[in-house]
Amino acid sequence: MKRIFTKFSVLTFLCLLFINAASAQNITVKGTISDGQDKTTIPAVSVVVKGTTVGTQTDANGRYAISVPANGTLVFTYIGYNTQEVPVNNQTTLNVTLASSSQQLEQVVVVGYGTQRKVDVTGSVASLKGTEISKQASTNPVSALQGKVAGVSITNSGTPGASPQINIRGLGTIFGNQAPLYVVDGVWYSDINFLNPGDIENMSILKDASAQSIYGIRAANGVVLITTKKGKLGSATTINYDAYAGFQTVTNKVKMANATEYATLTNELYTYNGQAPLFKDTNLGTGTDWYKQILQNAFVMNHNISIAGGTEKSTYNVSLGYLNQDGIVKTNNFKRYTARVSNDIQIFKALKVGYNITGVGSESRDVPQTIFHQMYSASPTISVFNPDGTYGDPKLQNLGDGANFNPQATLDFFNQRTKDYRATGNVYAELKFADHFTFKTSIGGEFGQTENKKYTPVYFATTAQKNDISILDLKRVETRNWIVENTLTYQNTFNTDHSLTVLLGQSAQSNKSYTLNASAQNVPFNSDADLYLSLGAPGTQSLADAGTLIKFASYFGRVNYAFKNKYLLNASMRADGASQFYGNETWGYFPSIGAGWVVTNEDFMKDQTVFSNLKIRGSWGKVGNASVPINPSQSLISQTGDMVAFFNNLPYPGASKDMLVPPSIVWEKGIGSNIGFEAGFLKNRLTIEGDYYTRKTSRAIFAIPVLASLGTKNDMIIGNQADIQNRGAELSVNWSDVTGGGLTYSIGGNISYNQNKVLSVLSGKTPIYAGSTGLTNGFVANRTMEGSPIGEFFGYKTVGIFQNAADIANSPTQSGALPGGFKYADTNGDGKINSQDRVPLGNPNPKYTYGVNTSFSYKNFDLALDFQGVAGVQIYNSNLAYRFGNENFTKDFVDNRWHGEGTSNTYPSVNIGSSANSAPSSFYVSSGSYFRVRNAQLGYTLPKSILAKWKIQKIRIYANAQNAINLFGYKGFSPEVGPVPVDNSEKIADRRTNSLNAGLDANVYPLYATYNFGVNLTF
Amino acid sequence: MKQNKNIYTKTVLGLGLIVSIAIIPACKKSFLDVPQQGQQSSDVFWKTAEDAGKGVNAIYGNLRSWENTAFPAIAIESMGSDDAEKGSTPSDASFFNDFDQFSVDPAQGNIGGFWSGQYRNINYANQVLDNVPAIVMDEALKARYLAEAKFVRAFSYFRLVRAFGNIPLRLHVPTDPNKDYNLPQTPAAQVYAQIEKDLAEAEAILPQTYPAADLGRATKGAALTLHAKVAMYQKKWGDVLNYTNQVMGMGYSLLPNFEQVFRLANENGPESIFEVQCVLLSGNASASNSQYSQVQGVRGTSGVDGGGWGFNVPTADLAAAFEPGDPRRSGTILFRGTTTPEGDVIPAVGDNPMYNMKSYVPFKLYVSGFNEGAQQNVRMLRYSDVLLMNAEAANELGNSGQALSSLEQVRKRARQGNPDILPAVTTTDQTALRAAIYRERRVEFAMEFDRYFDVIRQGRAAAVFGPKGWKANRNEVWPIPQTEVDLSGGVLTQNPGY
Repeated sequence: MKRIFTKFSVLTFLCLLFINAASAQNITVKGTISDGQDKTTIPAVSVVVKGTTVGTQTDANGRYAISVPANGTLVFTYIGYNTQEVPVNNQTTLNVTLASSSQQLEQVVVVGYGTQRKVDVTGSVASLKGTEISKQASTNPVSALQGKVAGVSITNSGTPGASPQINIRGLGTIFGNQAPLYVVDGVWYSDINFLNPGDIENMSILKDASAQSIYGIRAANGVVLITTKKGKLGSATTINYDAYAGFQTVTNKVKMANATEYATLTNELYTYNGQAPLFKDTNLGTGTDWYKQILQNAFVMNHNISIAGGTEKSTYNVSLGYLNQDGIVKTNNFKRYTARVSNDIQIFKALKVGYNITGVGSESRDVPQTIFHQMYSASPTISVFNPDGTYGDPKLQNLGDGANFNPQATLDFFNQRTKDYRATGNVYAELKFADHFTFKTSIGGEFGQTENKKYTPVYFATTAQKNDISILDLKRVETRNWIVENTLTYQNTFNTDHSLTVLLGQSAQSNKSYTLNASAQNVPFNSDADLYLSLGAPGTQSLADAGTLIKFASYFGRVNYAFKNKYLLNASMRADGASQFYGNETWGYFPSIGAGWVVTNEDFMKDQTVFSNLKIRGSWGKVGNASVPINPSQSLISQTGDMVAFFNNLPYPGASKDMLVPPSIVWEKGIGSNIGFEAGFLKNRLTIEGDYYTRKTSRAIFAIPVLASLGTKNDMIIGNQADIQNRGAELSVNWSDVTGGGLTYSIGGNISYNQNKVLSVLSGKTPIYAGSTGLTNGFVANRTMEGSPIGEFFGYKTVGIFQNAADIANSPTQSGALPGGFKYADTNGDGKINSQDRVPLGNPNPKYTYGVNTSFSYKNFDLALDFQGVAGVQIYNSNLAYRFGNENFTKDFVDNRWHGEGTSNTYPSVNIGSSANSAPSSFYVSSGSYFRVRNAQLGYTLPKSILAKWKIQKIRIYANAQNAINLFGYKGFSPEVGPVPVDNSEKIADRRTNSLNAGLDANVYPLYATYNFGVNLTF
Repeated sequence: MKQNKNIYTKTVLGLGLIVSIAIIPACKKSFLDVPQQGQQSSDVFWKTAEDAGKGVNAIYGNLRSWENTAFPAIAIESMGSDDAEKGSTPSDASFFNDFDQFSVDPAQGNIGGFWSGQYRNINYANQVLDNVPAIVMDEALKARYLAEAKFVRAFSYFRLVRAFGNIPLRLHVPTDPNKDYNLPQTPAAQVYAQIEKDLAEAEAILPQTYPAADLGRATKGAALTLHAKVAMYQKKWGDVLNYTNQVMGMGYSLLPNFEQVFRLANENGPESIFEVQCVLLSGNASASNSQYSQVQGVRGTSGVDGGGWGFNVPTADLAAAFEPGDPRRSGTILFRGTTTPEGDVIPAVGDNPMYNMKSYVPFKLYVSGFNEGAQQNVRMLRYSDVLLMNAEAANELGNSGQALSSLEQVRKRARQGNPDILPAVTTTDQTALRAAIYRERRVEFAMEFDRYFDVIRQGRAAAVFGPKGWKANRNEVWPIPQTEVDLSGGVLTQNPGY
């Protein structure tokens, strides 16, 4: 014994103490717990001896048995019911009925490294049940948050398998990853598209800095905590089968010009430019509708089966998921297979061990991103196929650039598949000792591999769409992450009035990724078995690789204190070391503090009947953002292909220094404060929660332009050069009730307002321009500067259309002015129009997001209707003037264009692509506000009387419509426009985005509605 | 109970092990010390002769860049002239018209593009000039590397000074944001002086020829030719004569067939003095990055009847500028409806009636996945330029005999043995001969990005380009890029009239 004591010191000692305490048993109490209303028994109710951690759970039939001091008190807790305390008083049978509670107060919410009663939370934490997520037709769990939580803004991308863009309380970082931190069962991720929504038990969104700062290092963009489903102790095996099938269909399609209109306008353009008309006969009928040709009603099917249960000492949950989703572009398909196992074993009363393992494999058949712009630009005068089966060739009509492709051929000869395999999970052990201590250790990891294989055969489709040398492109990304965390929690209540929880923890993690890009020419292709680089022609193989390795080490602690459940105080501190900050800047420190006052627990509130709950809370905290470029203060040598020199036609590698770096880079820190209240009325049937916050990103890492005469490659220097502020307010109102007639219903609404502003940037009032290149014809359309939102639109203000030469002569001097062209405002009044006349035109960051969520159930029917929208946001329609020649026009443009004096004073002539007309102007900026019926679901649960025969506990069938109705004024395809992808990766999911040129609509995935039918079975 | 304790012991032991696995690496100082993956830090570079060589290679490599050879160069160095106009389709890149008509806004991106392209060349040269001297290596090779860097730096400053006038003169890599990041403009005359200094130093070191393996590097002849040109822009006629006389003694010669000068087979030939080396390197699209030929190439279907973008096309005025029967007309202008010597049929119907023949690469050499014509070298300095500079300098100095002799060499080659065309110029009248030389320069160097600044330095721009909108005391230089003026916070002054 002594040896063990010395060797394992305190831990062992405390464990042994614990055993002694637990062995002191008195009488055994048994009983059944049932629902106060329908008298059904309730399994998995927690039964705890008050003042200890000794406890058990009710079994599948609601029965329990527990040893308890004869004079002790038992506490019965179950989510959704009021907690009850019953003194034992020497009774050996205690049957208890629990009153179901609409009180959110007793709700337990998941917070960083633990759980808290909702009433004790002093920060802003929103929580969403797994059923809310899985019941939607969203294949990505993040997408399901849209409209559900105040302050969370979701922009869906549409591509099957791709993750949406999520912003929690506005855009706070520019150069770093803007995604929040996802923590799934204690393992950290930056994307959770591997997760099957059906496996989620609960999602908690930590919105304010005080709630986030326990995750210091990565918390600046918010934290989403996810717990997955587990079995329940002592419950019978339950099998759940959930499935749906349906289809997705494009809504809000923009009407394009038909063949006759296209030919007419093209001739008009040729005439305008002084050329002979291209089409001899413009009467060509309707021609090809390329959207109809390329898009499809896409099938989607999802199956989940889970088996869960538990013995007295262990629980298990096994689930399998299968998703098969077609994209709305023909040939696009995404399949995902998920398997998840979780297992918890109570080895002793004091020790629990468990693990969660997820395996996921997905395969997508990709489509080229260019297809969207091609559908938009392609000429309706071209047939898809000629009668002899060859492709309709734009060359035969001399259509030239901008329309020299047949989108069907583009699609047919694009052969790319992306496969993703991932295994992730954690194992943990939890030891309770000395009554009040819990020690938890967890090791988690992620091993992933994404493979992207693209083969372009030798082909001839149309004169311009052909390939002479076959090429195989291969990209492989490997992920190797691990995380180890240890926490020690102390929880106790002193003198019944003081409750205290103290958490101490330590964490270490390593994230490694390796990317390999390779290609080879002349690879034969008879089957996938041929797609090996080594089969390519010698000398044509090329290879490039890149990798990152980041390590973090962290220590953290938190104290939660409550006095008489009236006064709450939370404080936390985290110290993070991150390998991407070199030298003295490695460590960052992130404190937080929060306080709350539960007014309704005051004596003076005892007799009032207005409030059933009122809490006022305030908090402050600091968070960090380590998702920034690795050590940007280290000056590196470039050795790229464009630096290769040729002598005597042979290549020689070139290398040099062509970047400027700041002397040091410090952590990007978010500082947030939050004031909020939670109120309940009418026995908490009506609850209101409001928050006001400011969120400041101080010393944001930002690339600001430097003088081009410094000769750097990208004319930018990265550094801690900006302060960004998001300030806003959120309000959620929920009403839920049961009427006398048996209708159970709830109606909830949330609205949030956010104002994004650059407080200061090193370049001051000198704007940082973005959004240049092809999308806006070489002009900049976004700028970021002090006092303005990030990436606001910027350009000329149109005041009309020049009607004739006299009109031009009487207006301020404007270069390239022609009748039918835009007349711009001379904002500085100097009599000429030039770049000095450009003004802010709009803000791509939404000001308002809102949602209304309702649910009704009556007898066996249930209905859910969700609405959602954004307002106070603008979009730049890049498609309109992104022209190289004979691109098609929208029907709207056909009908409204200027085509002679007096025909229009708002729309320009067919010469819209000229540099005078395509310069960014207010014409291209329009409101991006929208309102949509996000989800509508009608379900029917079969009566139990029928089910009894089939030995099935529950059958529910439902019909669901997602995004069926979208209302917006924008004349593009979709008002959901995220930042323009930075690189040309074919798969959107792989693209990094740049928020400096947000809101440019160039290639947006059309909106679609999903209609599906589903079934939920429980055995 | 005893068994339980045993298991506890083991469990706790296990937990302890996990904890130590977690904490020990995290506590180790080196845990967070992760070096940059896959990219060299600059403090381990510039140590060896190989580093020096790579640094010099980067200078040459960057000369192919978009900014040096494509849109920005066309906008700044060609569009203003009466030889070239926008081309392509009317709506495509219509900003070129603003250069053509001198209505361009200082914020137009290609102004900044040209500016930064040249300053990037200068940075790569300064990197070598600042860092290579300390490397322990063969001294002769080191001296040559430095001379090559000086040549490119001089060339870039020359392109900048004639385009923008007073410009920041950066001769070292920047070291301190508060000291040497934001340099004020240096008067054009001082920039010219520095260019001449660099060239004089380069001439002293650079070899007249290289072994075959080094073909394409800057030679002594290249430095002298550029030096002559720089002197010509300053009307230092004695220097022009001196430098061109030296080059004329170095064994350069004119190719008998003018059109052939611009074909792949004759790259780096006897007439070539300096070319930007471009290669279509199989399997390496990023090194095959020249778009010089592509952006000017015949519009049409790639590899069939074109594939280029068709910008920077010859004007009708240029087509009319050639003397009757001058073979250089077809060597300069690729007309629609004709067939090239290599057999490419250019359809009679198409977007533009004429294209630049000097950047033409036969369509069958186009490779899908690569820029069309990525293999075409850019002829920067040719021997005929030496001869015509020599003629002009001699004429300005009153030596019409030498002027006529040098001019005749150029016309003789153009004649290609046909006695009925391009009669020899015989006038000894200085003004008439000057006009003849000016005209010869136009037809000899048309579409080679020479004409625009040539006419300006001749002092004739108001007369020649005036009808297009060129105005004296304004258009001698383009505006300083507006973003650069803004970023300088008042240190840079915009050129007058913009």
